[in-house]
Amino acid sequence: MLSRSAQGVYWMARYLARAGYLSRLLELQVQFLVDRSVEEIHFGWKRIYRCMKRFPPPGEQFQPETDEFALADAFTLADDLTFERSNPDSVWSAIASGRENARQMRHCISGEMWTCLNSAWLRIRDLEAVDIWRTPEVFYAQTRSEIHNLVGVADATMYRGAAWRFMRLGRAIERAQLAVSLLLAQIDLSRQTKRRTLGWASMLRTHHALEAYGRVHGIEMKPDRVLDLLVADPSLPGSVLATVQAAATELEGLGAGPGVEADAAARRLAGRAEALILYDWPEASAPEELLERVDRSARDLHDAVLGAFVDYAIEDSPLR
Amino acid sequence: MDFSLYDFDPAIYDEMFVAEGEPRDHCRAVVDALRELPDDDLNTIQERVTRSFSQEGITFTVYGDEEAEERIIPIDCVPRLLALAEWRELEAGLVQRIRTLNLFLADVYGDCRIVRDGVIPADVILGCPQYRLAMRGVSVQGDVWVTICGTDIVRTHEGFMVLEDNLRVPSGVSYMIANRKAVKAGLRLLYRRSRVQDVEQYGSLLRQTLCELSPGGRPDPCLALLTPGTYNSAFYEHMFLAHEIGAELVEGQDLLVNDGFVYMRTTSGLRRVDVIYRRVDDDFLDPLVFREDSLLGVPGLMNAFKRGNVALANAPGTGVADDKSVYAYVPDMVRYYLGEEPLLQNVETRLCRRPEDLEYTLDNLERLVVKRVGESGGYGMLVGPHSTPEERDEYAKTLRADPADFISQPTLALSRSPCLIDGHAEPRHVDLRPFVLTGNETRIVPGAFCRVALRRGSLVVNSSQGGGGKDLWVVDL
Repeated sequence: MLSRSAQGVYWMARYLARAGYLSRLLELQVQFLVDRSVEEIHFGWKRIYRCMKRFPPPGEQFQPETDEFALADAFTLADDLTFERSNPDSVWSAIASGRENARQMRHCISGEMWTCLNSAWLRIRDLEAVDIWRTPEVFYAQTRSEIHNLVGVADATMYRGAAWRFMRLGRAIERAQLAVSLLLAQIDLSRQTKRRTLGWASMLRTHHALEAYGRVHGIEMKPDRVLDLLVADPSLPGSVLATVQAAATELEGLGAGPGVEADAAARRLAGRAEALILYDWPEASAPEELLERVDRSARDLHDAVLGAFVDYAIEDSPLR
Repeated sequence: MDFSLYDFDPAIYDEMFVAEGEPRDHCRAVVDALRELPDDDLNTIQERVTRSFSQEGITFTVYGDEEAEERIIPIDCVPRLLALAEWRELEAGLVQRIRTLNLFLADVYGDCRIVRDGVIPADVILGCPQYRLAMRGVSVQGDVWVTICGTDIVRTHEGFMVLEDNLRVPSGVSYMIANRKAVKAGLRLLYRRSRVQDVEQYGSLLRQTLCELSPGGRPDPCLALLTPGTYNSAFYEHMFLAHEIGAELVEGQDLLVNDGFVYMRTTSGLRRVDVIYRRVDDDFLDPLVFREDSLLGVPGLMNAFKRGNVALANAPGTGVADDKSVYAYVPDMVRYYLGEEPLLQNVETRLCRRPEDLEYTLDNLERLVVKRVGESGGYGMLVGPHSTPEERDEYAKTLRADPADFISQPTLALSRSPCLIDGHAEPRHVDLRPFVLTGNETRIVPGAFCRVALRRGSLVVNSSQGGGGKDLWVVDL
């Protein structure tokens, strides 16, 4: 497969996974606006911004020492995270970038997949926050659902070649990074509040894990058990372990890349992240430290994958 | 569909009607069926066709000052019909013409017999900006210089005429296929009953043709389609064709030349490329030979090509044969190389480089179409009957300043075909661009990209200037 095409498909999957994940976070957050306390609402906004590694837009009254989330209204924050064109991680920008990558690599994905993605894009293309604000949760649910559908359509129609693997690899790496990032934000923020369980139920809902938690651990909400499920349960599709294992599987399926050193590094990093969770997690005394190591591995894995298959030195490459 | 108010004009050839209310024989069944179709149904079909283009992202890109805009080419859902017998006639003319043009190209980059024998003046060829010195003495695989040709054909009461031979990187074939898919889905029963000739095998014929160019007959050659990139207005077509022919869609940055061979950078290392269907103009192909500031091309590509290690379709330098001045000599070329009379006529063309032609052109500006030799896409031309005296005066000054840069032709009454305009049938001017493929043999799918001037009274069919598309049905009725 052409390296640039592989890169395009990989980025398409990353952007769309980001758009889907953020839509899910926003879907739950705008539901909070209806019946949750101000503390919980602020907690939710902070967690989203931390996860996306971004600051909220400063308002006229913005003061560094005050709680900026109290000063910005929900509409402004949702707009910034959803439709802000200058925010490369907004839902709109992520779908636009994913769709643009798909447009350039249309010959590498199935026609059904392209139509599905393009239809989603045409729906969102001209929207602004005011257009969705009567029922924002409906918009976010639909957007998330369209991205889920896209994954399903890809699963049903795409040839299991290199493009398929790069797509899955991109999705796995993005989801691993986002999940770890959100967990780190949750751990840190929950330490700053007196309500020990604040935010953990919504962590489960974000990852569609509420029912699984009830089945495994019963109805009592215990943060360490939630953390265990979201980090180390291989049966939960959005757990950190499941996403890291998915990345390792796709890497294995791709075979050796021509960038020999980067290829070895990629396999080492994927293996290390998996091993950290499988063997170190159960005994970890400081979960955030371990998650930060997983986070670093996942970020380095991205560079190593590109080094192995895309940006490799030509001199080292075999001629076919 | 209501034809009762259809503005039939006996002075202009109508593709569907031979007289007012009287369909041509091969159109009768389709006209009857269209008459039975309620306007609402046809409007719905029209909307569906447009929506399908939008959903599938069948677009061309237009660049404004700040950002690019993806646009949909407007498609009229009423097909233009051609009888199979008419098509065969046209096809024979196209085959004759492409044989001639390939012989001409081999000659002008070889012995130049045609110049020495006085059929074409040397300065017409050497003065042509598309003549590539770098191609002198180069032989190409199977003597096929033009693998893909898109010939613009118009029709008047006098028959078919060639308006232009597009021999460099002709585009539009993806619209031929997309139009067909969309219109066929809308007019299912009518399509089935009309025994329309298939065009959707174009991709496999193109692949077969390109494979025949494989250097040294290498089996199972690796094909690549070289695109200038996503910012090119025809990018959709590049992507579509790459998919159709099973080629990698590459940009210059994906290719490199090593020891005279071309390789592409893949996820499993460098892979040799055998045949490149290039959609990049000559000027940008290789910065070591052509424009050195080109970022779109591949350094060393021409060296690999000249050594016969990679085939390029079309070969560099083919533009000399579709130059508007050279065009005027094509009928003479047919006689010279084949000893046959041309089956397809040219539009009468005056070369303003000749003093008598310049004088005639200046004296008759209000009746003529004047074109710049090096321009295409409907730009830089004057349509005399649609111009103001001021515009003609201004144009005359430019014309006098550099006569060799202009040709003039009579304003043709291009044929018209019914279109669905605001819910009813109105005639609009049309042309057609069939695509001719040449490898070991010449292949033409029975169909074409039919362009239509959607603005009332307009003769300009170019999509960049208000033109649209139509499906062309070659029917065996």
